[in-house]
Formats: sequence, structure tokens, C-alpha cells
Amino acid sequence: MNTIILIFIIFLAGAILTFLASNIKGLLKEVLFLASVIVPVVMFFTGVKAGDSFNFHLAGFAFQWEITPLGYLFALIVTGLGVMAAIYAVSAMQKTKNLGLFYFNFILSIMSMLGILFSRDLVSFFIFWEIMTWSSYLMVVYQGKDVQKVGIKYFIFSAIGAYAMLMAIVMVYSLTGSMMIDKMIQSYAGFAFNMQIIIPILFLIGFGVKSAMMPLHVWAPGAYSHSPMAFTSLFSGALSKMGIYGMVIVMAGMIAYFPEGHWFRIVIAWLGGITAVGGTLWAIAQDDAKKLLAYSSVAQLGYIIVGVGIGTPLAMLAALFMAVMHALFKGTLFMAVGAIEKQTGTSNFTEVTGLIRKMPLTFLASLMGIIALAGIPPLGGFVGKWMLYESLIGSDHYLLVIVIFFSSTAAFLYCYKFLFGFFLGQEEKEWEHVKEAPVLMVIPMIILAGGTFLLGTFPGLVIKPISAGLEQLGYAATQGKYWEMSMLFNEWGDQVVLEPILYAIIAVFAFFLVFLLIKNHKNTRYVSTKDISTSGEVPKEHENLTFIQNFFQPFLRAVEPLMKRQIDFYYNGFGKGIEALFDFTRRIYTGNGQTYALYAIIFVVIFLLLKTTLFGI
Amino acid sequence: MVGSPVLLIAVPLLAAFVIPLIGMIWKELVRIVPGLVLAYMLVLSVTLLVEVNQNGTIVETIAGWKAPWGINLVYSNLTGLLATIITTLGFLVWMFSYRFKRNVDFEPAKKYFIFLMMLVAGATGIVITGDIFNQFVFIEITGISAYALTAFYTGRNSAEAAFKYLMMGSLASSFLLIAIAIIYSQLGTLNMAEIASKMHTMDPVFKVIALIFFITGIGIEAEIFPLNGWAPDAYTEAPGPIGAAFAGVVVKAGIYAVIRMVFTLFDIPAAHDFLITIGLITLIVAESTALRQEKLKRMLAYSSIGQMGLVLVAFGIGTHAGVFAALFLMLNHAVIKPLLFFSGSYLVFNSKEKRISEVNGLGKFMPYTAGLFALGSFAIVGLPPFAGFWSKLSVLTAAADEGLLLVIALVLIVSVIEIVYYFRVVNRIFFQEYNKEESVVPHKPRFNAIIAMTVLAILILVIGFYPDAVTGMLHSASSDLLDKSGYIDNVLQVGQSLIR
Repeated sequence: MNTIILIFIIFLAGAILTFLASNIKGLLKEVLFLASVIVPVVMFFTGVKAGDSFNFHLAGFAFQWEITPLGYLFALIVTGLGVMAAIYAVSAMQKTKNLGLFYFNFILSIMSMLGILFSRDLVSFFIFWEIMTWSSYLMVVYQGKDVQKVGIKYFIFSAIGAYAMLMAIVMVYSLTGSMMIDKMIQSYAGFAFNMQIIIPILFLIGFGVKSAMMPLHVWAPGAYSHSPMAFTSLFSGALSKMGIYGMVIVMAGMIAYFPEGHWFRIVIAWLGGITAVGGTLWAIAQDDAKKLLAYSSVAQLGYIIVGVGIGTPLAMLAALFMAVMHALFKGTLFMAVGAIEKQTGTSNFTEVTGLIRKMPLTFLASLMGIIALAGIPPLGGFVGKWMLYESLIGSDHYLLVIVIFFSSTAAFLYCYKFLFGFFLGQEEKEWEHVKEAPVLMVIPMIILAGGTFLLGTFPGLVIKPISAGLEQLGYAATQGKYWEMSMLFNEWGDQVVLEPILYAIIAVFAFFLVFLLIKNHKNTRYVSTKDISTSGEVPKEHENLTFIQNFFQPFLRAVEPLMKRQIDFYYNGFGKGIEALFDFTRRIYTGNGQTYALYAIIFVVIFLLLKTTLFGI
Repeated sequence: MVGSPVLLIAVPLLAAFVIPLIGMIWKELVRIVPGLVLAYMLVLSVTLLVEVNQNGTIVETIAGWKAPWGINLVYSNLTGLLATIITTLGFLVWMFSYRFKRNVDFEPAKKYFIFLMMLVAGATGIVITGDIFNQFVFIEITGISAYALTAFYTGRNSAEAAFKYLMMGSLASSFLLIAIAIIYSQLGTLNMAEIASKMHTMDPVFKVIALIFFITGIGIEAEIFPLNGWAPDAYTEAPGPIGAAFAGVVVKAGIYAVIRMVFTLFDIPAAHDFLITIGLITLIVAESTALRQEKLKRMLAYSSIGQMGLVLVAFGIGTHAGVFAALFLMLNHAVIKPLLFFSGSYLVFNSKEKRISEVNGLGKFMPYTAGLFALGSFAIVGLPPFAGFWSKLSVLTAAADEGLLLVIALVLIVSVIEIVYYFRVVNRIFFQEYNKEESVVPHKPRFNAIIAMTVLAILILVIGFYPDAVTGMLHSASSDLLDKSGYIDNVLQVGQSLIR
């Protein structure tokens, strides 16, 4: 039997079995859950290779599932993060009610993401897209918080996106008579001009919603922070990347006919830039770690959209590299927040402080995640950002460089806030009982954080599959240079030369390290948090020295005009207007039989009067 | 050979007279015998459909009077499919409502089951008859059973709802009679096939007036806006399973009558555009009204109206793909909406007001019923991999082939509204806390009800995962509807068709 279909069958059967076993005591459901995630993933890595395909016909449409190089790259993200998040989830979700539903949707989400990546025809693409939407929706409302607002908002936006996409799909179908993605890309050049514009825009609305592109991002903060953290790491890390995957296909495949620098590309890139800035500013303003990371995800995806929008080979490379990195470090960070929330009961920095000694491993993972997020070498975030800058400068988008630079510098603020708020600062009595998270939660975090280090040092590991994916999209074999596995001895084509920078950074670090060690060697003394004096006074036991409230007020005040009106406000107003309008239409049904009879008479009279116009007789 | 199409009508009519008598022997028989009759009708309609699929249309003449003089029944791929849907649902409704309310005793139960049987028989008659006046008679039979069933609870509200329904129904009959009179006066025949073959000779003015009266008359049964004022009240006040029967049986028969007029009887091309327009208006008004409803069954009723609007839009497209999509929608609606009515009526079983806000947290107490309601909601809004998705996709591709982009956009926007109001309810059931003061006291569904619901749920999953199970049937049904000359030839015995 074909391995591809077998993978889906195992996922589906595993989901159902786990759901059915959820009421049985003991570890059966956990074992089933892990098995139904890991077994297909192992089969994916061992049993299939790029180029394998599976074809069948259903309901008059031809279905084709094939493993493409680009799909393989994204499948690496999905499977890697999926397995880690699954292991984390088993421990994190212990003693939760209704666990069957969680496991069921978790497995279905992974299955649907792989399905999206394998689909070479638009029908199965859409089917898996929708399965992904509703399974993730059930995760958002799973904890029962704010379901009518956050959950419905997520679904409304997803539905708008999906239906925009569906409209594009049926338009493509009527134009080409085929549902194949390849066929769509090939015949795109022959479409009428209005179709050439409308179809990509509709697709981009669909993908923009999932990747939380402004102004379609309003669902993201609520949805990310309301779903269980075990799922959010997958949600933000992998699920949002499906939007990026779609964009890459549409932008690189269909818009390939638009030259670089075409207004359509510029608009997308700028939308990405605005997303990055807006997301960053809002992230700085948050006091809840989940919300902070959610907005940060919005911002990070903004960078990726910039890269995809620009669309030069290097920009695409940068975008895809950052997509992989974002999955790794955002997965780590959401898991860390989940661990902290599980151990302390809250994810608010204004409440939790000084966890560094209580949860050292979580701190380590968070630290690495934050470094990668901020784009500091030698972790992977740096490589991606560097390539993005390089590609922006290389294609003369200087204004965008400034925007991105502003956003990624401002990102340091929330990075610091995250680390300081949770881990540093004064240790308080209230949190003395806190212990390190269970080992099954720590291991995935550490592995993912290690991944950021590995890929930061040896970016060639992931650049290889990326360039294979780009070749599939029709880009020339990237730069035509041979690939070394080490960043240190790597010549990245003729555009990025990293060695001097890296050597310089290492030299500076080494210099200060040696300098500090020699200078302070003899005076080192170990202190506790309160062993200090402020303005000549020694603080007492109960005094609070941690000033996490109103963090970054001056900065926020400075950027306030930018953040004054949230787009959310307009959406809510629009929604209310619609509801009022519908209340009005509801009045048509008065509940009075006489009115109804009158309607019938009026109906007949109108048609009798208008019969010539209506029926042409 | 189980029987011929006429038995689909004769057996329930006969049984309706016999049941009160045998009820005197053993009271339980008034519940059992209608079920047996409905089961027989189901088996018969399925067998005949299989036979039709192999051998072609069956035309049955009654009492030896050949068409166009006598009444004849036409059991083709299209009518057979609809008859099968109707009888299947009739049987499931019977199974579900066997002892639905325990306190219902002999006398009301007798009426309930006899009327249910007559409702199904009448609707089957509407679909399979080949005579326009005969169809009118069946519309009356269906209508009268429906009024009686609406008033089943004999309260003030149900009496009012039934009266509204009755009022609109009488209007419908008057319009229909006028239309039939016009046609008879002009063409001198009541046989549908002969009307269709002679229609081009009719004076255009009379033709249009007859069409308008027809559409108004049947539109009341088919829930076309603005003729559907009776529907929300009737759905809400009738017993839950009867709501399912209305959605699955009565409306389907009404829609069939409309499309038979437009596609076969009248040769007015503009009528297709008219169907699209009126369907879209119905769809938009009904779905937007549904969003603001506070009662569960009323919401389902408006949703049902909206779906019928979508069916009319799809028929209005008029191509093979459009008709296929419309029939697919009808089939899916007939499977999904009853499931929603069944499970919904158990969710609000112990509630007086039947408000949506009362279902909070019920998922914990009645997981199976609530899960089936969620499945139905997922399916009806068209989420894959459930049944509703395929029909929605085929409507959209059919519309795209004709370049009706505005229609596609409107249908999709309305689908978003649909998602909102269905998911609000699903959220309440599963993800909000049970509140003792507000929420309904849960009520365990009976075994027979669970079986009826499970059958529908299985159908949803089967169609969702393997739509090819039904598409073949739907394709031959749509070819059948579009083959006007074939219909005429079959009935008037011009061709080589099988006459019995």
C-alpha cells in the first residue's frame, strides 16, 4: 500500500481511537496519542521521498497527493514541532478534563497540515485547510475561556479567508477546467487581466488570515493565548506557516509573471512590514506572556511576508529560513510559558518573578529562544534576519529596511521584558514552592532550543532543503555555490559574506570575557537578591524591588499615536452594524398571519405587474 | 418485485382508514402499523429506484386509462430519488418519535402517527404523480396533515402557528387552482407531459400568469421568500421530529413541484434567472434572520429556509452541473437538517421556552446527542470532510462555470453568517459551563431515537468521505430532469419506454 495514504489512515484512525480511549483509566490514551503522532512521522521520514505520489478520483475531481521539495521542507517543520509538542502535551495536559477532544484535534491538526503540504490539487488542499481550521478552532475554545468572542472571531476570520480562497479555486476551475495547482500556475499567464489580479488577491486573503497578516491578524492574539500552550506552540510555530506556504506557492508560482518590483509585490511586502511593526509595538505593551508571544508571532510572520513579497531568490531563502527558525524558537517560548503557567498558575509577568533558580532549564530554553528571536548570533534568528536585510538592500527597498530595522530593534524591548519579567528580578515568597517543570515538558523545550543553536551554526543543514524547494518553484539553483555545512567556512554565494562579522563578534566577546575575568577575579562574591543597598538603605524582606509594572512607559507613550486605534475597533463596529441590520430584517417576520397573507398578495401583484420586464413576454 | 409505484400511495391511504379500527384490538398497534407501512414504502421506493436505474422510467397508468386521459404515475430517476429520500426520512421520523414524549397517550398518538403517514404519502404523491390536478390533491393531503401536526400540542401557540399555516395554505390552494384552471382552459389537458408538449401553443400572457400563480402557490409550500412567514412558527411549535419531517419531506416535495413547472411544463427561459434572484433573496433574508434568533428550533427553521433558497439558486443556474448541485444540496439537507432537529429537540427537551441560551454545558451530560448536533452543524455549514461540503463545492463550481461571480460571493458571505450562528450554539453546548438556573435539565434520548440519529450521522460521514456513493444517482437524476422530451415521450408512450 502506498505510504502516503497509509500515513493519513494512521493519523485518522489514531485520532479516533485516542478519542474513544479517552475515558479509559491508565496510560492507554497517552500511548495511543503518542503512537498516532510518532508512527506516521517516522513513516514519513523513512518511507517516503520527494516525488512519491498518490492519485485517485473522487466526486468528479482528480486528487493528487505528492511530496514536493517545498512541501517536504514545511513538512519538516510540522513533523518536528508536532512530535515535540505532542511529547510536551502528554505531560502538560495531565489532569485536564475532556482530554480526548484535545488529543483528537491535535492529531487532526498535524494530519491536516501534512495534507495541505502533500496536496497538489486545490480540492484536497481546501479540504485539509478546512480540517485544520476547525480542529484548531476546537483547540481555541477548548479551555472554555471567552469562547463566544475569541473563538467566533477566529472562526469568522478563518471562514472569510477560506471562502475567499474557495472562490478563487472555483474561478480557477472554471477557467482551466482542472483543479491541479501546477495547471493553475501554468495557465495563469493566459488569464484575463482582471482574473490575474482577482485570483491572487483572493488567495492572499485566505493565506493572509492564517499567517496573521495585518489587517487580518485580529484573531491571532486571542486565539494564540486562549488555546492550551501545548497546542499554541504548534499553532504559532507550524499552523501559521501554512499561510506562508500558500503565499510562497502563489507569489512564486503565479506572480512569477510579475517582475520583481511590481506594485503587487511591493504591496504585499509593505503589508508584511506594517505587520512586523504593529505586532512588535503591541507585543511591547502586553503584560501577559501569552499575549506578548502572540503579538510577537504576528510580527515575526510579518518579516517572513516581507521576504516572500520581495521575492528575489535571497529574500525567499531568508523568508523560508526564518519560517523554520520561527517554528523552533516560538515553539520553545510558548512551551516555556506553558511550563511556567502550569507550575505557577499564571502567565502574567506582573505577578511571577525571579524564577531563574527555580526553573533553570526553562530559563535556559527561554534564553536561547529569546536570543534566536532577537536575532543575535550565533543562534539561527540572526542568519535569517541578516539574509533578509541583505536581500532588501540588494533589491533597493531602503524604506522597508528602516521599517524592519525599527521593528527588530524594538523587539529587544519585549524580549527583555519576557526574560526579566519571569526569571530575573526579586525572588518572592509567593513563588518559593515553584519547582522545575516535569521532565517530559523540559526535554522538548531544550531540544527545540538546541535546534536554534544547531541551525544558527550550521545553516546549511536547512538551507539545502530550502534551496531544493526553491528550485521546484523555478528559481535557479541558489547562487550556484557549493554548500558547506558550517557557517564559519561557508561562502554564501556572492551576496552574504558572514565570516568577517562573525569573527569580529567573537573577538569582541572574547576580549570582554577575558577582560572581566582578569579584572574581577579576586573580588567575586556571591549574593542573594536582597543583599544590596539602594540609596544607602538596605531593603527589608517584604519590600518589592521588581518594577515590572508599566514597563517601557516612556517608549509606549512615544509610540502611542501609532497604536491609538486598533483595527479591531472597526471590525467590532462593523459586526455590530451588521447585527443591527439583521435585527431589522428579522422584523420582516412579524409573527402576524395577516401580514404574511399580505406579503403573498403583494408578491403576486408585483409579479403580475412586472411580468413583461421579468419574463420578457 | 415488491410492487408498483401506485402502492406507495394506496397502501398508506388504506392503512389510514384501518389503523383506528385495529387500534381497538391493541393500542400499541397505532404506533407499530404506521411504522410498518413506512418501512414498506421505504423498501418499495428503493427497489423501484434500483429497477428504474437499470431499465429506465416506469410509467404507471391508473385504472387502465392511458395518458393523457387517465391519471398516471411517473417513477423516474429524479422522482424515484426524491421519493426515496422522502420515504427514508418518513421512516426515520417514525422511528425517532416512537414514544418521543412518554405522556402522549392513545388518542393523540393515533392522530400523530396517522398524520405522519399521510404527510409522507402526500409528499410521495406530489413527487411521483404525472397529473397536475392530482398533484394539487396531494399538496392538499400533505398540507392538511401538516396543519394538524403543527397543532399537535393543542396549546395556544401551536394553534396559532397551525392557523397561520392553514391560512397561507388556503391561499396557496387558491392560487394553484387558478393556475390549473388557466392551463386547462387553454390547453384542455391536465397531464403534465401533454401540457409540456403543448405549452408552446399557449398564449404567452396566460402562460406567464399561470406560471406566476403556480410559483406563488407552490412557493408557499417551498418556503420561498416572502411567502414563508408560516414556516418559522410551524417548525417551532410542531413537535421536534415533525420539524425534521417538514424540512426533509414537505419542503422537498414543494421544491420538486416548482422545478417541474420551470424545467418541464413551462418553456420560459427567464424563469431560471427568476429562480436565481428569488433564491438569493430567500437565502440572504433567511440566514440573516437566523443569526438573530433566540430559540433553537426557530433558528433551525430559518436555516432550513435559507438552504432551500440556495437550492433554488442552484436550480436556477440551469445547467447539468447546477441541477446536480441542487439535487446534492437537497439530499444533504434532507440528511443533515433532520439530524439537527432530532438532536436539537432532545437538547431542549425539558425546556418550555426552547431558548438557545438554555443549552449551556449540555455536552457534558448528553455527549452523544450533543456530539451529533455538532456533527450536523459542521456538516450543514459545509466544512469538509462532511457531507455539506461537497454540495456547496458543486454549487460554487456550477455557478463559476456560468460566470456568476456575484452569486458565488453572496453565497460565501452568507455561509460565514451561517457559521456564526451555528457555532455560537455549538460553543454553548460544549465550551460553556453548565448553569443550574439557566440551563435545561438534560434528558436522556430513547434508544430508538439514538438509532434514528445514528443512521443519519453515518449517512453524513459516508457522503462526506465517499461522495461517489451518491453522485452517480444524482447525475442520472439531473439528466432525467433536463431531458424534457424524454419525459414527454415516456409518459405519452411515444418512445420505447417500459409501460405497465
